[in-house]
Amino acid sequence: MNIDLLATAIALLTFFGISAIMALSLNLEYGLAGIPNFGKALFVSIGAYTAGITYTRLLPLLVGKAYLDPCGETLAQALDLRVRAIHDQPGIAFLNLGLTLLIAAIVGGLVGSLVSYTALRVKEEWYLGLVLLVGSEVIRTLVRGYTPLICGINGLSGVTQPFSALDNPTLSAACFMALVLAIAVLAYVYCERLVRSPFGRLLKAMRENEPVTLALGKHVPRLRAQVMLIGSALAAIGGVLFAVNLGFVSTNDYAVGFTLDIWVMVVLGGVGNHRGALLGALIVTVLNRATAILSIWANAQGSQFEFNYVRYILFALILLWVLRFRRQGLLPEHAETTVAHDELSVQP
Amino acid sequence: MPTSLILDSLVRSLQAGSLYALMALGLTLTMAVVRLPNFAHAELITVGGYVALIVSMGVSTSVPVILCLAFIGAGLVALITHRAVYRPLARLNLSTYAMILASFAVGLILRYLIFLLVDRFDFFDKPVKVPQQVLIRTPDLILTSVFAWGVPTALLLMLALSVVLNRTDLGRQMRALANNPTLAKVIGIPVDRVHDLTWLLVGGLAGVGGALWGIYTTVNPLMGWLTLLSVFAATILGGMTSFAGTILGAYVVSFSENLLMQWLNFQFRVDFSFKPAVPFVIIIVVLLARPQGLTGLADSLNGLRRWRGPTG
Repeated sequence: MNIDLLATAIALLTFFGISAIMALSLNLEYGLAGIPNFGKALFVSIGAYTAGITYTRLLPLLVGKAYLDPCGETLAQALDLRVRAIHDQPGIAFLNLGLTLLIAAIVGGLVGSLVSYTALRVKEEWYLGLVLLVGSEVIRTLVRGYTPLICGINGLSGVTQPFSALDNPTLSAACFMALVLAIAVLAYVYCERLVRSPFGRLLKAMRENEPVTLALGKHVPRLRAQVMLIGSALAAIGGVLFAVNLGFVSTNDYAVGFTLDIWVMVVLGGVGNHRGALLGALIVTVLNRATAILSIWANAQGSQFEFNYVRYILFALILLWVLRFRRQGLLPEHAETTVAHDELSVQP
Repeated sequence: MPTSLILDSLVRSLQAGSLYALMALGLTLTMAVVRLPNFAHAELITVGGYVALIVSMGVSTSVPVILCLAFIGAGLVALITHRAVYRPLARLNLSTYAMILASFAVGLILRYLIFLLVDRFDFFDKPVKVPQQVLIRTPDLILTSVFAWGVPTALLLMLALSVVLNRTDLGRQMRALANNPTLAKVIGIPVDRVHDLTWLLVGGLAGVGGALWGIYTTVNPLMGWLTLLSVFAATILGGMTSFAGTILGAYVVSFSENLLMQWLNFQFRVDFSFKPAVPFVIIIVVLLARPQGLTGLADSLNGLRRWRGPTG
C-alpha cells in the first residue's frame, strides 16, 4: 500500500491548524477564565451549520442562480450548482467563504455570550458544564430532526474549499492548508496578546477568585460574556474551516466526543498556556492521523481489528495519565510575576 | 388518541421509567456519597447488559440468575474503576471538572473495550434471550412477561435500597458520609470500606438496569451512553441527592419521552426523531430554573423522602 507522503503531510497540517484554533478558544475560556465549556462541539457546529446554510442559500444568490432545495428532488442539481460555482468563479468562492466566516463568528459569539449568563443561574459550578454539554446535544438533535436545514441525518456534501479552481488536488489542498495555518497563527498571536493585556490578567483573577474580583468592582458576568464571545467566535471559525476541509456537514461529527478531543488537547498541552494548547493540538492530530492510517493499513491487510476504538482508549489513558501525574500538562502555565517580584527577589 | 396507542405508550412509560429509576438511583448514590458526577455510569449499564447477554447465551436463561450475575459483574467493574482511578485522583484533591473529565475517560476506556470485544464476537444489537410468554392479550394491549420482570424487579430493588439506607449500619454510614465527610471521618466511619460497598451497589443497580433493558430491547455497546442523559435527567429532576425525588424524576422523564411524545406526534405531527431532546430540555430547564429539582415538592408529600442529601 502506498501512502502519498505529501498529501498526508498537507492533511495533517490542515487538521492541526483547525484543531489549534479550537484548542486556543477552549484555552481562553477554561485555561484563562475558568469556564468549563463542555459544549465546545456546539460552538464548533454553529460554524459548520453556518457553512451548510451559506453554501446552499447564499452561494446561489451570489452567482445569480435560483435557489434549489439541497435535500429533496433537486439534490443532485443543487450539489452540481455549488461545486460548479466554486470551481468556475473563484472570486465568488472566496467572497462566500469570507462571508461564512464572518457570519459564523458573529452568530457563534452572540450565542456564546448569551449562554455565559446561564452561569448566573446555576447553583454549583459544574452544572454550567452540564448545561453546555446538554445544550450541544439539544442543538444537534434539533438540527438532525429539522431536515430542511442541512438535510438532517444524511448531511450535506459539496461544502468544498475555495481553491478547487486550481484543478490540482495537491496544490489546492496546500493553498487551503496555508489559509488555515495563517488563520491559526493570527488566532495564536491574538490570544497571546490577550493574555498579556490587562484583560487577560482580569480573566486570571476571575478564575482564581471570583468573589475578590467582584469585590474589586469588576463586572464578572460581563467579563464571562466577553471571553465566551471571543472563544465561541473562534470556535465557530474553526467549525467553518473544519466543515469546509471535510467538504461535508453532518450532525454526527459534533457529538460529545468532539468536545472531549478538544479538552484532551488543552489538558494534555497545559491549561492556561497557549503554546501548550498548540502542542496538545499537534499531539492529538498526529495520533488521530496515525490511528486512521493504521486502521486503513490493517483493513488492507485483511485484519478485522478496529484501530479507531484503540484511538479512544489511548486518548482516555493519556487524559488519566495527565490528571494523575502531570496536572499542569506538558507545558505548565507561567507564574505571573511583576517587576517588583524580580527586584525584591521574592522566592515564589 | 386511540386507546391502543395510549395503553401501549403507558406500558412503555412504566417499563422505561422503572429501569431509569434503577439506573438513576445508582447515579444519585454516587452523587450523594462519593460526590462525583460519574459519566462512566453509562458504561456500567452497558456492562450489565453484556453480562446478561453472555450469561443468557452460555450459562442460564433464568431471569433471576441473569440479574444476579449482571449485578455482580457491573458492581465489580464499578469497584475496579473506583480503586484504579477515582480513589487515587480524589486523594489529589482535583477540581470537579478534572473528576468529570476522568469519568469521561473511564467511560471511553470501558466503552471501547466493550466495542473491541463485541466486534470480535459479533455481539451487536443482540437481545437477551429469555423465555417469554404473553400474559394479557386484548385487542388494545399485549402484555408479555418482559413487563412482569422489569417493573416488579425495579420496585423490589428500590424497596431493598430504601431498607439498606434506612435500617442498616452501612446505610447509616453512607448517609453520614453524604451529610458531612469530614465529620464522618472524625467519628471513625471506615470511609474506604463504605466507598467500596457504595460503588458495588452503584454498579450493581446500573447493571441490573442494563440487563433488564437488554431483555426489554437489545444490547449494544452504546446502550448506556444513549440512556445516560435520560438517567441524568431523572437524577437532576430529583434534586441530585434525593432518592424519592430520583424515582419520581425517572417516571417523569419516561412518561414525557413516551406518552407525551406520542401525544405530540399524534396532535402536532412532531417527529419521533426529536425524542432524545426531551431529557435534554428537562435537564436544562431544571438546572436553570429549579436546581433543587422536585425535592421541595417531595417535602410537602410528607414521608416520601426520608433524608436530605448534602445540598438538600
